[in-house]
Amino acid sequence: MSDVSDVDWSATPKWVVPVPNTEDREFWEGAARGKLRIQRCADCGLHQHYPRMLCSHCGAEAVEFVTATGGGTVYSFTVIRKNGVPPFNERTPFVVAAIDLDEPGVRILATMPNVRPQEMRIGMRVIAAFRAANETLGFVDFEPAP
Amino acid sequence: MKRNVCIVGVGHSDGPVTPDLSQYQLIAQAFRRALDDCGLAKSDIEGLASAGYGGMHEVAVAEYLGLTPSWLESTSCGGSSFEFHLQHAYRAIQAGDVDTVAVLYGNNQLSASGRTLGTGGGGGRGMQLPGPMRYEFPTGLTLVGAYAMAAQRHMHQYGTTSAQLASIAVQTREHAARNEGAMYREPITVDDVLNSNLVADPLHKLDCCVISDGGCAVILTTEERARSLQRQPVFVRGAAGGTTHHSIVSMSDMTRTAAAVAGPRAFGDAGIRPGDVDVFCAYDSFTYTVLVTLEDLGFVPKGEGGPFVAEGNLRLGGLLPTNPDGGGLSNTHPGMRGLFLICEATRQLRGAAGISQVEGAEIAACNGSGGWLSTQGTVVLGTEPA
Repeated sequence: MSDVSDVDWSATPKWVVPVPNTEDREFWEGAARGKLRIQRCADCGLHQHYPRMLCSHCGAEAVEFVTATGGGTVYSFTVIRKNGVPPFNERTPFVVAAIDLDEPGVRILATMPNVRPQEMRIGMRVIAAFRAANETLGFVDFEPAP
Repeated sequence: MKRNVCIVGVGHSDGPVTPDLSQYQLIAQAFRRALDDCGLAKSDIEGLASAGYGGMHEVAVAEYLGLTPSWLESTSCGGSSFEFHLQHAYRAIQAGDVDTVAVLYGNNQLSASGRTLGTGGGGGRGMQLPGPMRYEFPTGLTLVGAYAMAAQRHMHQYGTTSAQLASIAVQTREHAARNEGAMYREPITVDDVLNSNLVADPLHKLDCCVISDGGCAVILTTEERARSLQRQPVFVRGAAGGTTHHSIVSMSDMTRTAAAVAGPRAFGDAGIRPGDVDVFCAYDSFTYTVLVTLEDLGFVPKGEGGPFVAEGNLRLGGLLPTNPDGGGLSNTHPGMRGLFLICEATRQLRGAAGISQVEGAEIAACNGSGGWLSTQGTVVLGTEPA
């Protein structure tokens, strides 16, 4: 069992390329520009991801996109050793983490393709990294903070 | 005055491996056996509850069986759907909306889809997935991975160990060894669990439930009707349910499920405390599911589930005999297991469980868990009404 995934995550099969809708286009396109775009509620000041019509904290309509700093803390993680779906079946083992962003109110799920599983710790500081899905859309990964 | 509500008939289909039976055939077998169990006729069934995969499932089931129910329930929230069905049927019968209800489930998941559930991600639908899963799919997270992430957090917060989780699988397998119909009956040790392949850290293959075929059926009616039937009635004493999230990343505290709210409400409704429960039918999709719901229902304080299970308290004869039939971990888990919990609790309260019997069982708690720990439904059954 390999401990380090040396798999190249840069290729994106067409069924994994995001199909943006009117609500989340900003997120996928932001990732292609190297920006983590999340929503902030002007009423309660809390943030959310994924994009929604209403604030999931207070219910207000006053949600607007902001650019997150990209900093966060690992709330929990797992090492995926078995996934039957291409292309993930060829990329195991890899780490998926739930990350509390520094902006209050928001936790995001992300792949951490370039981390050794044994280096992972709950509470570790991480930073957003960006990966193209195609010319205009991207994914938000995370990596250990320097 | 509120009417008392009883379970009068239960039935299982063939299983756990039935390559020649469709989900409808499995449902029909279980339904027929539940009718025979209580002595009611098909024409006595006025209400139907069922959950499956795909729209209008319960309507197709009604047509297949030749039922024209005037009361219909189809809450479909994963494996716990059937605890919600019990809750809603109990309230409807109690209120006088309907007298006699069948709750039905069947699925040929193993034979139709193989063993991919849990590590199949979003399958071929990819980014066409609806709702929150379109943000989860591209990360490569699996269903097992979602539970693993929650288990990892519990271990971090409370010092729970993989060996403690493994002891749940070991004790459940001991129970399966007594059940001739169980899928896996060979005894296992904690080391066997820890040495089985990691599927998603920290969960090993033997921390995960089996994938099987199978169906079961439960028939409920009024106490008055139940007294005229052949079987000792089992009373529904209390029920409650709730949800905290859909995808695991939205579970704000991965060490606490909606059972922490539903459990106390169901127990309060039933007029009991956790210590009164003689047998616990826990949804054991994964070992962690048992651990976290044990704590949420108040059988042990939060964070103390690990030592509690490692002491062997889930065994027959232990402080809280859990899943005497061998559970989903070793007996059967055909896609959704919630209704099997009700069947097993009924068998125990009738005193009809043979060598798997919890001696003198008078109160049973069933806790269904659906999705990614997303939905929780608690049902309390007893030999006497609340």
